Amino acid sequence: MYSSFLLAWYQLSHNKVKLAVAAAGVVVAVMLMLVQLGIRQGAMDNSVAVARRVTADLVVVSPRTKTIFASAQFPRRLLYRLGSSDDVVEVGEMYMGQGRFRNPWDKLEFPVSIYGINPQSPMMNLPGIERFADQLEEIDRVLFDGLSRKSYGPVGNYLKEHGTLNVEVNLRKIQLIDSIEIGISINSDGNLFMSPANFRRMFPDRQPGSVDLGLIRLREGADPEKVRDQLSHYVGQEAKVLTRDQLIDAEILFIRENAPIDFIFGMGAAIGFFIGFVVVYQILYTEVTNHMPQYATLKAMGFSDQYLLRMVVSQALILSFLGFFPGFVLALGLYRVATNAIQMQFSMTVGRAVGVFALTMVMCGLSALVAIRKVKTADPADVF
Amino acid sequence: MTVASSELPVISSRHINFSFGEGDLKKQVLFDVTLEVAAGEIVLLTGPSGSGKTTLLTLIGALRKVREGELEVLSRSLHTATLHDLVDVRREIGFIFQQHNLLPFMTARQNVELMFQLHPEVSHSEASRLTVELLTSVGLSDRLDYYPARLSGGQKQRVAVARALVTSPKLILADEPTAALDSHSGRDVVTLLQELARDRNCPILMVTHDPRILDIADRIINMEDGRIQAVA
Repeated sequence: MYSSFLLAWYQLSHNKVKLAVAAAGVVVAVMLMLVQLGIRQGAMDNSVAVARRVTADLVVVSPRTKTIFASAQFPRRLLYRLGSSDDVVEVGEMYMGQGRFRNPWDKLEFPVSIYGINPQSPMMNLPGIERFADQLEEIDRVLFDGLSRKSYGPVGNYLKEHGTLNVEVNLRKIQLIDSIEIGISINSDGNLFMSPANFRRMFPDRQPGSVDLGLIRLREGADPEKVRDQLSHYVGQEAKVLTRDQLIDAEILFIRENAPIDFIFGMGAAIGFFIGFVVVYQILYTEVTNHMPQYATLKAMGFSDQYLLRMVVSQALILSFLGFFPGFVLALGLYRVATNAIQMQFSMTVGRAVGVFALTMVMCGLSALVAIRKVKTADPADVF
Repeated sequence: MTVASSELPVISSRHINFSFGEGDLKKQVLFDVTLEVAAGEIVLLTGPSGSGKTTLLTLIGALRKVREGELEVLSRSLHTATLHDLVDVRREIGFIFQQHNLLPFMTARQNVELMFQLHPEVSHSEASRLTVELLTSVGLSDRLDYYPARLSGGQKQRVAVARALVTSPKLILADEPTAALDSHSGRDVVTLLQELARDRNCPILMVTHDPRILDIADRIINMEDGRIQAVA
């Protein structure tokens, strides 16, 4: 009739202010954990977004390359050997570099990521680029990433209204012919897409025979790993052949090792967990301490230790429920705010929601386990 | 109640010794305590503080373990009982303490009804009927849904009396139930307790200092320095 759970609810809800404070502690913890882990995931996803956009089955990189954002070049002639394999259908090249984009409105320069790809067959997932394939072949014709930061000025809007915009990049006058929506990352504030020939015009100091990335499309049914091993012999020591998955894994590994994303945001989430733990523990502990005579009385009257322990654990579980859902909603709001502010996509995943919910239960459960030790010391003989 | 069962003592202790502490700090508080309480009897245990009354009460209430001597309460041998047995015995005893110790987050009705959690054999409706009945007989029919904070000291102690009696215990143990009350409400509570216990033929063992309530006793046991002095 009066389950320990019901008593737990009575005890928690009796003092509404205390309940609100306790729940608020959990809310903050849940929100911090969700937001920190969300940003961590978002930063990670954005950083490997370029690698994920590669649709080629195999890629060729320099053996010195650790990440494609700071790639070392290798001789383009190596790529010409690869076509001799029966499994290779197409070999493409890709160039990447950091340029300086001069905002035509305030005349200030901002760094921009520049991609040189074959617009006819980019072997990258760049939706919309095919419409401009022919235009991009023309000299100094460039596509702008509509999702670039505002620091470049209202380029997207201008293009929509006026069609084209002449800008200065790397001290060279180019024409933006339109924009496509690709997205930026912590490595780049904005993107420009152009043909390899235009890319070389943009970077006159580069070795004309060097390429950043080779892209290989295989025939249907070819085993990428087998072909990779075969092609590795063709390029020898001068380049490395990777499967698409290897490229993505290498990028993730690079971010993990070189950018303190895991540490910073993992730390943030851990602090959230700790805050929640301390708040819930404090509340449960004072509840237990304040009710020691009553608990001892219940024991004297024949209530078991287990009944009282379940009562404390139930309070912890109730708090985790009461805290999680508002925390979850707040986190969704903050994701939206962050998405707008940082202009990177942050989204909630089922896995993260479930994971943080589990963490919340663990957090409250641990607090209960620590508080419970106090309940055990309630000695019924002391009531007299 | 049959004659045979009423003849069997509810409490029977033989040669109980009890000490606190170990080694050099060991202090014996009960010496060779032998006492019997029969069914339906109201026995008061008096004596100066430190005389061991309360310790004796905690032994009888199965709140401490008997280490020396024999103690039978409600036909169970507490000197051989396990902790689990002790908890079982407690469920058949009604306790009234110096402090009411009501759960502040539950109403008078809920505090009393809570006791049926230990007696799942009683149906929900029967439990609430008995609760209201008993709270009415202690004069709190208009305070059923009050939280303890809104009750006076005497009213709280009456709720505690109702809580101790509601599951029809076979023995009531009370430790200075009037100590925290003024003389008038103290007297009320004890009179109520006496009447209700008489109705149910339920024996009471009560520790008290309060000379004003000695008249309710069938028998008064005086303790001093851990020994039973005289039986009046």
